[in-house]
Amino acid sequence: MTPNTRAQEVLYESEAALRLVDHEIHDLRGAAQPEPRYLSVSLGDLPHILERANQQILNVLAHLRETRTALQSTAFEKLQATHDKIREVTSATEDAAINIMDACDRANNMVDELDAIDSAETPDRAQATAVRANLRDEIFLMMGALQFQDITSQQLSHASAVLIEMETRLIEVAKLFDSNIALEQSVSHIAVAPSAQTYDPNATVKNAEGRQALADEIFTTVKAPAA
Amino acid sequence: MKFLVVDDSATMRRIVINSLQRIGFSDTVEASDGQEALAKFDSSVQFVITDWNMPNMSGTEFTKVLRSRPDGANVPVLMVTARSVKEDILTAMEAGVNNYIVKPFTPQVLKEKIDALLPAAAA
Repeated sequence: MTPNTRAQEVLYESEAALRLVDHEIHDLRGAAQPEPRYLSVSLGDLPHILERANQQILNVLAHLRETRTALQSTAFEKLQATHDKIREVTSATEDAAINIMDACDRANNMVDELDAIDSAETPDRAQATAVRANLRDEIFLMMGALQFQDITSQQLSHASAVLIEMETRLIEVAKLFDSNIALEQSVSHIAVAPSAQTYDPNATVKNAEGRQALADEIFTTVKAPAA
Repeated sequence: MKFLVVDDSATMRRIVINSLQRIGFSDTVEASDGQEALAKFDSSVQFVITDWNMPNMSGTEFTKVLRSRPDGANVPVLMVTARSVKEDILTAMEAGVNNYIVKPFTPQVLKEKIDALLPAAAA
């Protein structure tokens, strides 16, 4: 069962349970406050009415418990996945920053090397050329490390979409209690969820080599279209 | 050789274009989604590097449309994307992608894939 289907079922169950509560409360109100024509009901009927009320309340509570469990389960799974994504964003950002700082350190050392070569009485041009090539490699490595920005941007888009979806569903449930609920301050009212077409929910910086190996294997074993 | 680089991330476009320049290809044109890429594609483009997830038109949709055009039927298309599950890779292949790079990539991988497709691009 997909998370969407499950969430829809949870919402449906919630609504059904709340309608049942409303119906039973209405019935009980009728039983507790009989109109004048029912005043002839004898006291002997009271235990039966109370027993019926008790059973109805138990049914309602059972439905509410089931709904609560399903809601908790769905919300927990989605929020846990979102939490993991956000943690990965933090980790990817830190890894990229460390890689770039390491490359900066190495680049600085190379600049020092070039200074030393230049200050020699007979500068070693061949060595300087080699150091400059290494320096370009380091600068290039720094640029490559910035790919984390694209991946983390997709991860955050996914997290944002999940949170907006959760809020929308919570508002739907809240509306069952109060149809006049103010939505002006809700995120889903003031922001548009990122289009699912613009991000991959599974985007990650992890195990790039392994994932590339899988792509290579598929393109090797399944015949790729001829260019 | 002229490359068309398609990605909605400006950062990624710069990284790919800088990588291309580093391996000797400086003639590039950029697009931020499939629709813009189709508008910018002409017979002078000999190699396409495209992302998958983009607004308006995805990389696979773009590749399918490109393959239906006489001037884009045989141009090499290299997909560079974060998507990396088997089904996605097969979908890209079915759309007409010639090879596939998983983000984040190294310059070496980009060079290998381009080198492998160069004969077709030069044809």
